[in-house]
Amino acid sequence: MFENHQLDCLPQHQSIEFKPLANNALLHAQLSWLLFYVPLMAVLAAACFFNQNFASVAQTPLMIGLPVILVLSLIFNIISVRLKGVAVRNHDIAYQKGVIWQQVTILPLSRIQHTEIHRGPLERKLGLASLRLYSAGGMSADLNISGLSHTDCKDIRQFIQDYIQHKQAPEQLQNNQSVSAELTNE
Amino acid sequence: MNKQHWQRVSPWALLYFVIHFAYRFIKDGIFNLLPIAVVFVTQVQDKLFWGKIGASIAVVGLLLYSFAYYVNFRFCITDDHDILLNKGVFKKERLTLSFLRVQNVNVAEPFYFKPLGLVNCIFDAAGSVAQEAVLPGVTQAYAEDVREQVLTYKELQQVVEDQQTTDSEQVAETLYSLKLTNKEVAKFGLMSNMAILALAALAPFMNVLFDFFEQAVINRLEAFYEQEVGLLINAAALAVFSILLMLVMLAVLLSVIMSLIRFYNYELYFQAGKFKRISGLLERHQLSVSLDKVQSIVIKKNLIARLLQRYTIQCFQATSGYVTGAKSKQSLVMPVLKHEQVNQTLQRVYPWLSEANFDFKAVKFKGVEQALLLKNFLFYSLLPSLLFGLFNYYVVASHALYSICIFVMLSCLVYLSYKRYGYYFYHYQGRYYGIFRSGMLGVQYRVFELYKAQSTRGVSTYFMRRVGLKSLSIQLASGNVSLPYLKATLADEIIDFTLLQAELEQRNWM
Repeated sequence: MFENHQLDCLPQHQSIEFKPLANNALLHAQLSWLLFYVPLMAVLAAACFFNQNFASVAQTPLMIGLPVILVLSLIFNIISVRLKGVAVRNHDIAYQKGVIWQQVTILPLSRIQHTEIHRGPLERKLGLASLRLYSAGGMSADLNISGLSHTDCKDIRQFIQDYIQHKQAPEQLQNNQSVSAELTNE
Repeated sequence: MNKQHWQRVSPWALLYFVIHFAYRFIKDGIFNLLPIAVVFVTQVQDKLFWGKIGASIAVVGLLLYSFAYYVNFRFCITDDHDILLNKGVFKKERLTLSFLRVQNVNVAEPFYFKPLGLVNCIFDAAGSVAQEAVLPGVTQAYAEDVREQVLTYKELQQVVEDQQTTDSEQVAETLYSLKLTNKEVAKFGLMSNMAILALAALAPFMNVLFDFFEQAVINRLEAFYEQEVGLLINAAALAVFSILLMLVMLAVLLSVIMSLIRFYNYELYFQAGKFKRISGLLERHQLSVSLDKVQSIVIKKNLIARLLQRYTIQCFQATSGYVTGAKSKQSLVMPVLKHEQVNQTLQRVYPWLSEANFDFKAVKFKGVEQALLLKNFLFYSLLPSLLFGLFNYYVVASHALYSICIFVMLSCLVYLSYKRYGYYFYHYQGRYYGIFRSGMLGVQYRVFELYKAQSTRGVSTYFMRRVGLKSLSIQLASGNVSLPYLKATLADEIIDFTLLQAELEQRNWM
């Protein structure tokens, strides 16, 4: 990697064992998709019912296409949820996702600016939550982990907060000591 | 967290929520309603009646949502120097923002709060622009008090850090200055696309301008050409070509003028770890950037800059996303630099590089894997050319030479883009840097210290995994840098080492 420096043995992220999402995560993914898909189908069905011209052109393709898309999407969701996983290490948090483009994002805990826990109505009903972690410079959340159990979400957030506070504590102590020494000298 | 005193905002904050959500609805939601609008326009008979019903439902919905949001909105300033916000109606959110992460606390007084003496207290964090940490409808005194608390706490942290830095870096620094002649600044106008800004300002008047051009200029030009050269070529085409040429010249002229307005009598000073830039024609604008705050620098050379043999350097600080104007405010631009000036400046930004006689142009970059060339050739050259060829053959029935020209041009661009990708990692006295090169007709180099990385990402598809490839992306506080199609082992090594630097380095990254 470096022409002018030999690297020693590094901790390797490839060996991370990812923890799968909560049991209800798949159900949540499927229901969320259906909540979008069923109204869309209803609108198209209404358009076919009220507009004969539209129906004569689009009815057959829709009758074939929509169920196919529905089934493919439900299968896609199953694969997608199974491929997702999260892992918290000593100094960072890793999230794996993606079916076609598989990606592993790793965010050092010391870079986290703020955290959020989101719970929609469905998530509340299923005991799930989404964890959003923000660092600097991003357009949106660097990590948006949905499908975690609410307890896991709170545990991870607490771990992050503890990590940041422990990291800051010695610095603060040092700073306060120096400032008070400075004031005494004055 | 020791104690949490949750508080509500004033009932007048409801006004803020109503206006805020109405604005959000218009800004973000209007496009989502397009399908409904299409159905409404094409299918609904009594549009006025149903329109009124729809508008009433939207208004009532907005008021109810704002009220519910107000009821759920609570905030808390903890003893651990955190700001906590509980918000949301359907999706409950808890936002935790440490005082240390707050870049600035802005107190804004909207017109509707003026008679009430209330303000919005806005916490500017170096996080995402999608985030909002606003306490609406608080009293001026309370907002000032919170601001004082946050800034005092941050100052206390800063005092010792500064002390440590000055103690350890008691190096006598000479004043470095760079002055650009206005002739050079005008060259920047040629290189940059500042004319687009000027044209954007004219956008609301475009229709009027086009009408004016058609009536006053094109028709007259057409008549003139018809009279003079009408027999030789098409007068209308010549008139339109003349107008296009004029517009290009006008854009270049505007660009030069804008450049002069912004960088007139450009002066750049460097001392005590800070760059200070003074420039401007109408207003002498001073901008100071501390080196500690620089997250990355970009050295750019576009097509025209290649002809002029000039570079532009941008020093980026941490941004709050790509909010309008934020990007330009956070970056220091050094335009039209020569090669040796680039090296001098680079060594100021990363002073230890000067000892190594670092020359960025002499760096031997390593390229990315050839699979990228094959993929881009297939998707961005061969496929579009084939589609164009088929369209050309069956629909337009024009000469096949056009398709071949398109294919050759796209292939050249794909090859140039592939050749531009490069990376170089540099180690000097315990500090590690990455230089990523990219571009197509132009070229740009992004230089950054690895420990300033915010997060890393490795991406691969099935085919990439089969041949052992991976794309790499590193999020910096000033934006994203990426390298496609590296050997998977190398990409993993870069990710691991970058994380190690970010996690173990004790220096403050911000």
